[in-house]
Amino acid sequence: MQLQPNLIIDRRQDYKSTYGDSHFDATTGHQVIKLFSGDYYISTQPKEMLATILGSCVSACVRDPVAGIGGMNHFLLPGEGPGLVGNGEATRYGVFAMESLINGILKAGGRKDRLEVKVFGGGNVINNSARIGSKNAAFIRAFLQEEGLRITSEDLEGDLPRRIHYFPETGQVMMRKLRRKEDLRIADEEAKYTRSLVSRPIEGEIDLF
Amino acid sequence: MPVNMNMRILIVDDFKTMLKIIESLLKQLGFKHIDEATDGTMALEKLKANKYDLILSDWNMEPMTGIDLLKHVRANPTLKHIPVVLITAESKAENIIAAKQAGVNNYIVKPFNAITLKEKLTAVIGQF
Repeated sequence: MQLQPNLIIDRRQDYKSTYGDSHFDATTGHQVIKLFSGDYYISTQPKEMLATILGSCVSACVRDPVAGIGGMNHFLLPGEGPGLVGNGEATRYGVFAMESLINGILKAGGRKDRLEVKVFGGGNVINNSARIGSKNAAFIRAFLQEEGLRITSEDLEGDLPRRIHYFPETGQVMMRKLRRKEDLRIADEEAKYTRSLVSRPIEGEIDLF
Repeated sequence: MPVNMNMRILIVDDFKTMLKIIESLLKQLGFKHIDEATDGTMALEKLKANKYDLILSDWNMEPMTGIDLLKHVRANPTLKHIPVVLITAESKAENIIAAKQAGVNNYIVKPFNAITLKEKLTAVIGQF
């Protein structure tokens, strides 16, 4: 009998969007999903870890602990934007990034009144007066307040990039601030995709959120 | 016939931030009377209580989605003539087809800009 592959419907594509790369890490038993700027990912199964590196970008980790569904995005407001209530392209882009993530979680079975939100990034990592990181941080704070979504933990602004590992199954976030000297090395390793982030011994201080 | 800038527009979105953005854009375009609802159910209540000339609605909302709101509007003899524009991230062809079959007047894919909004509105209500 002939197989009919067209009949296999991947329901996940309804709410799962773009991400950089995905691989299985045998050391920890987690599927590692890497996110880059503009990406978001909704996790509906156990043993997934969402990984990203944030400079002036912001990531929101959003989860419904009852439904067991969580996800993360990674975005940057492009260019100079007016305030949140303004109508700049930048603000609309940020709203779109948040809406895509939250609607994805709701579609997968989450409920808005149960969402816990953790936000990271917005570092002013580039030495100029624009303070792009702070603008991204201000956006995410204002957006969440406007929408009545409570921030359960955050680590925003400052002048260092951050590496974030998010475990949607438990809601735990492992964050490490990246010292400037090792930025390039880590960025380089990221680009190569040769090894998993978690399989490598993690040096330095890690904060849990 | 010139577009009446006093027309009453109902905007529907479950994100308050997006409602503010759309309202701000519409006011910038010169529209004066803008009302809002946060889902299809609330929109229907407002549509039954007040008179509107145009509906701009998001798709993904709870409890009633934008496409269901559209179907309710088209099935209601007193509301069915009102133009409906969906503003949504649902850019897949099947969704656009479903919206067209349900009688949508136009379709704006997020993230959108002010120029797109003006173009799509012009296509629905005429030059302004």
